[in-house]
Amino acid sequence: MENNFENPFHGAGQVGQAVLEPTRRSSPRTPPFPYSSLPFASSNAKSPTPSPSPVVIPPGHNIVAPTLTEPVWETVQRDLSRILSNLKLVLFPNPHREDPGKALRDWDLWGPFFFVIFLGLTLSWSASIKKSEIFAVSFALLGIGAIVLTLNVLLLGGKIIFFQSLSLLGYCLFPLDIGALICLFKGHFIARMIAVFVTMFWSSWAAYPFISSAVTQKRKALALYPLLLMYVSVAFLIIATS
Amino acid sequence: MDQNQPAGENYANPKTCFFHVLFKAAALAFYILSALFFDSFVIIFVVTVVLAALDFWVVKNVSGRILVGLRWWNEINEQGESVWKFECLDQESLARMNKKDSWLFWWTIYLNAVAWIFLGIFSIIRFEPDYVLVVGVCLSLSIANIVGFTRCRKDAKKQIQQFATQTIASRFSSTLQSAFSVV
Repeated sequence: MENNFENPFHGAGQVGQAVLEPTRRSSPRTPPFPYSSLPFASSNAKSPTPSPSPVVIPPGHNIVAPTLTEPVWETVQRDLSRILSNLKLVLFPNPHREDPGKALRDWDLWGPFFFVIFLGLTLSWSASIKKSEIFAVSFALLGIGAIVLTLNVLLLGGKIIFFQSLSLLGYCLFPLDIGALICLFKGHFIARMIAVFVTMFWSSWAAYPFISSAVTQKRKALALYPLLLMYVSVAFLIIATS
Repeated sequence: MDQNQPAGENYANPKTCFFHVLFKAAALAFYILSALFFDSFVIIFVVTVVLAALDFWVVKNVSGRILVGLRWWNEINEQGESVWKFECLDQESLARMNKKDSWLFWWTIYLNAVAWIFLGIFSIIRFEPDYVLVVGVCLSLSIANIVGFTRCRKDAKKQIQQFATQTIASRFSSTLQSAFSVV
């Protein structure tokens, strides 16, 4: 999760203190985090450089750790914008797909959480019988499936971080959410099937580069097969319950 | 009012304390009482888990910051490794933190986890795997917060100690220097 799982870089403008080193890539959206050599900044700071003349911090303001005193609304906005940007990164073609390790750097689990719940609710809504069971089954399938897929990649010797991979698999569920939503509108059966398959291919296309780049060449098929299997089974679940 | 307490030693952030407790209590209450009102497991699951997730977010981002001045998160650095980061307010602000606020903060998150463990034991005894799923999700959210904030607090104490030794060392060396310059 969350979790849950933060990225404190929004709004941390340049405040005239020594920047130690940016601990992540600088993007136009987030300026490098202004670590200072004041001892109560975040820990895990690498070698400190001496700070310039002391900055007077007015009481109540915290320049050293700006996110510690930001208003609540800013935190909400930061989280929401992060969900959106992660979604765009994962689902749409962009240059970062060439280097997937860097792409989902600031992972979060809120997006996946909402998508999984949404998928469960849609499936449960469109089912005519056994609504509760379908919801529980779909939630458990998606949750445990994501964990098992991640473990699979890790056990194949892949270099991927547990939460990052969970987050990625959750975001890749978004097209299937759209497919399930389309299936809610009881149209022609063939049309629904085509829609679901299109979204399934979209999901697999979205997840493919991240998983395949994490394992060695020989084991790509071993890592990708369970992934495709899971998306196919979710697609059939959607079709079956509609 | 307690005579030994300084006048006005009350909750410094009553609104934050209220929200801190609200979502936890709502999740627990809804879970316990829902069996009386709702048939549908889906509603129970979704509402309880959403309340627990909201509580997780509030504790991590709002009440942790405001009540105890701590914050933790996870980052992935350039080498692709995951790094846990902890942040705390500087020492004067930490010392100014309201004792009642932090007491409430810590005790409620511990009690919340204990309550969910109890409910989990009940649902295991009654062989209801669906409800074990709900309890499992809520419990893992509370434990995540407990672990995060405990590590953050330990880190903050370590930093304070380091700062203390650093100040003593720098004072010592500066007195030495001034002593030698006078000579």
